[in-house]
Amino acid sequence: MSKPKTIIDLTAMVAGQGGDGSLTVISILTELLARRGYHLFTSRNVASRIKGGLAAATMRGSVARRGCLGDSFDLLVAFDQEAIDLNGHLVADDGVVIYDASDGPLDRASLAEAVKVIEVPFGRYAVRDLRRDLFKNSLSFGVISRLLGIAQDEAQDCLTHTLRRLPPRLLEPNVRAFRFGLDFADEVGLGLGQGPWCVDRVAREEQLLINGNDALAFGFMAAGGRFYAGYPITPATEILEFLQKHLPARGGIALQAEDELAAVNMAIGAAMTGTRAMTGSSSPGYSLMQEGIVHAGSAEIPLVIVDSQRSGPSTGMPTKPEQSDLDMMVFGGNGEFPRIVLAPGGPKDCFDLAVTATNLAQRLQCPVIIALDQAVAQDARTTPYFDLEAVEAEPGVRLDAAGLSKMAAYGRYQITESGVSPWAVPGTPGGMNLITGNERNEWGLVSTKPDVRQAMAEKRMRKIAALGDDLPRGQRFGDDGAEVGILGIGMQAGVMDEAVARLKVSGIAVAGLQPRTLWPVPQETLAFIAKRRRVVVVEHNMEGQLRRLLMGVGANGDRLGSVRKYNGAPFGPSELVAELLSDPAFADNVAEMEIVA
Amino acid sequence: MTRTFDHTNTIWCAGCGHFGVRNTLVSALRDLEVPPHETMVLAGIGCSGTIQNNVEAYGYHALHGRVLPAALGVALTNPHLTIIAAGGDGDGYAIGVGHLVHTFKRNPAMVYLLMNNAVYGLTKGQDSPTAAPSHETAEQGMDGISLGLALPGTTFLARAFTGAPEQMDRLMRAALIHSQQGRGFAFLEILSPCVTYNDTYADWAGRVVDLEADDHYDRFDRAKAFGRVHEVSEGGGIPTGLIFEGDGTDMAARIMVKGAVAPAHQPTDVDAHLDGYRDLMAEYAV
Repeated sequence: MSKPKTIIDLTAMVAGQGGDGSLTVISILTELLARRGYHLFTSRNVASRIKGGLAAATMRGSVARRGCLGDSFDLLVAFDQEAIDLNGHLVADDGVVIYDASDGPLDRASLAEAVKVIEVPFGRYAVRDLRRDLFKNSLSFGVISRLLGIAQDEAQDCLTHTLRRLPPRLLEPNVRAFRFGLDFADEVGLGLGQGPWCVDRVAREEQLLINGNDALAFGFMAAGGRFYAGYPITPATEILEFLQKHLPARGGIALQAEDELAAVNMAIGAAMTGTRAMTGSSSPGYSLMQEGIVHAGSAEIPLVIVDSQRSGPSTGMPTKPEQSDLDMMVFGGNGEFPRIVLAPGGPKDCFDLAVTATNLAQRLQCPVIIALDQAVAQDARTTPYFDLEAVEAEPGVRLDAAGLSKMAAYGRYQITESGVSPWAVPGTPGGMNLITGNERNEWGLVSTKPDVRQAMAEKRMRKIAALGDDLPRGQRFGDDGAEVGILGIGMQAGVMDEAVARLKVSGIAVAGLQPRTLWPVPQETLAFIAKRRRVVVVEHNMEGQLRRLLMGVGANGDRLGSVRKYNGAPFGPSELVAELLSDPAFADNVAEMEIVA
Repeated sequence: MTRTFDHTNTIWCAGCGHFGVRNTLVSALRDLEVPPHETMVLAGIGCSGTIQNNVEAYGYHALHGRVLPAALGVALTNPHLTIIAAGGDGDGYAIGVGHLVHTFKRNPAMVYLLMNNAVYGLTKGQDSPTAAPSHETAEQGMDGISLGLALPGTTFLARAFTGAPEQMDRLMRAALIHSQQGRGFAFLEILSPCVTYNDTYADWAGRVVDLEADDHYDRFDRAKAFGRVHEVSEGGGIPTGLIFEGDGTDMAARIMVKGAVAPAHQPTDVDAHLDGYRDLMAEYAV
């Protein structure tokens, strides 16, 4: 028997029907690897229904920090044949499959020859001995702990910790189920130390395991955000739920509206009282909100809007990621108005950019949009503690009674050099003013005079020009001196980072940029492209919206390569490496390298 | 004194019912001693959607049909303000009717003046949701009072007619007081004829029936109010008056901790809640 291999990078999937409790198994495994100091990345792959439909929970535990899943699954726990049929081809050649054989033996047609299969009738055991099918989760974890060479005490402690909120009458049979799992492992020759792997113990400082939606909502709240309205929609609902849970104790309100039209207008109303306000949705819901976003742009109302993008068009694929609303966020809506679009690439970005967005909205009195995608929104990963002390709430240009008393006259839309007009919110003595989405004069009274119109339109747009490059900088990785580069936003950040690192190992130097400001396109992004022979734009949409956006503001299209995906599945690191190498500029580098060799 | 916008210029046609609505609102606010800076008038789109330009108060011109959710955002984040939402029958009964239903349900403290002229005036005379069924569309007219009666949770349902200014004045004050006392959403539909496209002064004057004129009418009895409204309507009349009044508590008072500072006046600096944020972060620790 060979010595167990120390596994420093484990990608695992637990799959079954929705309601099978796959997520619980992954949570216990996550707890275990967290205690060993591994970095974590977790992701869900579910159908849009409450119960049933193939549901998979996935995780990656690694000694190095990673922002995506690995290329293949080292471990697949499958509660039925369908889970094998759909995911078997994703199992690593030297991977292990634990199969619930309650309904008969496994058909392993989709598995590579060398994949080791352990068949256990989990469901049958659970029902027979514990009277409940669901206990098969804990049973399977017993077997998993033996595969990983974890002693009983440690594994059981992870299980009881993860399930600590269960009442004792449910916790106890779960522990028994776990022990059944160990007994079974013994029977099939998987005693402690007889499994294929062992887990390292590494020193890592304590971190957060948080998803993008929660991190974003947290950042908004920390930046003084006190009003949120939304309508439930996958994958943006967690923002509403987080804020409903945590805002009231901080004197704020999070409200479930009757639809997205109401949500955006409620947030507009809240913003008009000076409250820092946000609304959020996912693609089709954001599409409904556009009327309100345009209005906030025209009426000069500070508002943060989140689009947790999912696959479109229309209702599309609710639980799958895509980056196909870029055109809508940057250009959508009637007329022309100032807006900013920020694009976080992970939980830390989500927190930081929510703070920035909340402040920018106040400073510029205009809509600030945060572009998430389902992966950034719902995947969780280990993240350093947020720097709360660094959070500052910018007050914006407000007028109080004392300030007003020094003015001969006051109207809401005073023409200023910066484009931002001093603002007296309702309740301020002497500051009565008019807010409107119609074109208006400085008083806020409707006006269609050509000179007034032109001055007002230009005043609004000056807000963006006055900002210059004072917008969130991008995240750089790889070799900044390289003459080829890759560029992508949101969910691409983690996988691009890893692809670049792998190319480096192969001797190919690549520069990477994850812009965090999408609109206006910062000088930094254009300079990154201009400096290189070739930059491949990586994005999840069919038409190459990001590449088109960059070309529209002057990036040389001849230099811009394109790697796109739109099947609902994120890129894996090797997949992206292969895609990049299919670009001639990258392939040239390989050829040169071989010549050198 | 800082000069602010000139609120004397109206856009309405001579004889428009909206003048009466505006004058009644202004005098009621004055008599109830509501300071202009603590008043906010939010209006929708249409001729009625300019009323905020003609009141000395903070004003907001909403998107078509969206005045109620915007007003709700104001009402929840600064309940100290006296809030008057206003709009026409197109705004409230067509494009915005979904929001009306949910505002009835939520009962926020504000007055909603729905200025009903049974026509789209600003776009030159198309049928509105309250247009008479004799028109070629043959759709039945919409009745906001019946809608409100059908929804549990409504607390103030009234209809006035600009041709009956004393009643309008009384109902306007009652609506403002209802909202100020924290009892919730005061819905006041005002029959306000459009002299240009649908001059209904004479027709409506002959049909309005003040339900409160009957000493036996019990405005606190929802079922009887519903019955009476339909009896009058089926007889060709238009029921007016304070048609229904119920017990309720304003939404802000229901959802906010008693005595809490309004969201609009909460401190925004992170230090105000630093310990709580740290505890919350610890819940995610691994």
